[in-house]
Amino acid sequence: MSPLISFIIKKLVQYIPMMFAVIIITFILVNMAPGDPTFILVGEVGDEEFVRAARARLGLDKPLHERFLIYVSNVLKGDLGYSYLRSEPVAKLIIDRIPATLLLVLTAMFFSALVGIIIGTIAAAKRGVLDISLSTFSLVGISIPYFWLGQIILVIFAVKLGLFPLGGMVTVGRNYQGIDHILDVIYHLVLPVMTLAIFNLAYTTKITRGSVLEALTQDYIVTARSKGLPESKVIFKHALRNALIPVVTYTGFNTGVLLIGAILTETIFAWPGMGSLLYDSIRLRDYPVILGVFIYGSIIIIIANLIVDILYGLLDPRIRVR
Amino acid sequence: MNKIIGKNSLLKSNFLQLLFKKITPAKANSRVFTGLVVVLAITMMAITAPLITWYPPLKTLVGEPFTTPNNYYLFGTDDLGRDIYTNVVYGIRTSLIVGLSSVLIAVIIGTLIGVLAGYYRGLLEDFLMRITDMTLILPQFLLALIIVAIFGQNFQNIIIAIGIVSWPGIARMIRAEFLSIRERPFIEAAKAIGLSDIKIIFSEILPNAMPSVIPYVILQINAAILIEAGLGFLGIADPNVPSLGLMLNTAQQYLMNAWWMAVFPGLMLSIIVIGLNLLGDGLVEYLNPRLRKR
Repeated sequence: MSPLISFIIKKLVQYIPMMFAVIIITFILVNMAPGDPTFILVGEVGDEEFVRAARARLGLDKPLHERFLIYVSNVLKGDLGYSYLRSEPVAKLIIDRIPATLLLVLTAMFFSALVGIIIGTIAAAKRGVLDISLSTFSLVGISIPYFWLGQIILVIFAVKLGLFPLGGMVTVGRNYQGIDHILDVIYHLVLPVMTLAIFNLAYTTKITRGSVLEALTQDYIVTARSKGLPESKVIFKHALRNALIPVVTYTGFNTGVLLIGAILTETIFAWPGMGSLLYDSIRLRDYPVILGVFIYGSIIIIIANLIVDILYGLLDPRIRVR
Repeated sequence: MNKIIGKNSLLKSNFLQLLFKKITPAKANSRVFTGLVVVLAITMMAITAPLITWYPPLKTLVGEPFTTPNNYYLFGTDDLGRDIYTNVVYGIRTSLIVGLSSVLIAVIIGTLIGVLAGYYRGLLEDFLMRITDMTLILPQFLLALIIVAIFGQNFQNIIIAIGIVSWPGIARMIRAEFLSIRERPFIEAAKAIGLSDIKIIFSEILPNAMPSVIPYVILQINAAILIEAGLGFLGIADPNVPSLGLMLNTAQQYLMNAWWMAVFPGLMLSIIVIGLNLLGDGLVEYLNPRLRKR
């Protein structure tokens, strides 16, 4: 077996138990809950007949270990229960919302990585005045909570200046098609992406700067300079290239933070993704959906980490051998 | 024998000495200093909350609802006529209490696991670290959210939930420190004179591990405060406790006309986070000479 395949298998062996862990943790929490777990698995509302049917389906009158097996097999089949309030299966509700959330996360990730790498590299090359304003920016950018930043951005750009829509993903009542639809979505996407990208941008800039500075102290840079290469070439071609690995790794492993950020940001801009779903479910006490968002959210994060881990191995052969 | 060893560690340094020795002689680190000033100022506000506010916290109709900020209501009033300034000051108190107590829980769990793994090693270490790594990947925020949602939205549950999700990083850190410190000669000396494991762990290794762990704990307090605020923002909070996050949740519905309901609680939350970040990051930099040069 080639080392690459065995590397991938090793990673799968490492990550798949984590997905089970998520399911097991959820099961334990639900069953440790004070009172009857029925209302958490079924929701607080529902007529008696519905509750009775749900109890039978979930095996809630059976002993704990049988219930556990039923629960695990249900989740693995993609059956996360039924939202009585919305009369829809939980899994469908969530899966319908995933694309909107991913659009937000990926756009923010792309922009913050691109801009962060450029600014960070320039900052490393030209130290001095830029350093201070930049370190202030990254401190503030890292510190301001998403949910407040989003509110301020909304008040300034949508309420006061009226430049962008107040929320949502498309203009209500205008059934745009084709290219107009895409432009409309982009128009609605600007403020949420701005909110979500600032933290990542600040962090990426900081990491890129540090990483390029470190690379600039290496011997091969001295060699490149003494060969008479122009400084821009030394920095962008020699230093940046080697400095990118930590930046890429950070961007990938940070998917989890971004996903949580998206959940909070969506709430502000009524972006119809998992976050808005979660927010509404908390208000309505729709427990099956809350648990579902936890399970799906965790699994998305685990998969993202797995992908980054494997890509990392592909990019850097040294990792594979370890 | 006892006289030679004294009551302190063989490596004569308790962690405070070590921390300050590393900090004071060098040029005053402006980041650590600024952070410390901000954090102290905020702590003072939290402690003296009853003295610097004029209305009881959470009391409704102390003024006309939606009053814009003025001399009597510094930050204005909210939809129920509560004084926002008062609630912001008490909200700081809540943030700090949540931050400190949940991280205390996390430190206890994390230290226990880190010590067991780093000192005793072997299969136990593999097992504990596997669990730690797994927990580290899980979304802390969502885990805390469902714990509170399931067990009930009260203050105590929020603190416990945040504590439960915050330990893995601390455990890893403690283990790493133990792995390196246990190989040093003074530990060998401690073993040679027959000190018990407990004694070696708590009075030899742990104090020497502290300088590296403390900045991390400060950053963890920061994270805990943000989790509490985030939960509050989504509406998961104890309605009987003033909370900056919960205030932002209420403000969300009135963003169109009552901007002050969002601006002040969020501003204060950001100041807390900036202060703790400065302090924590500054300390990390101080204790790691490789970063200091930059």
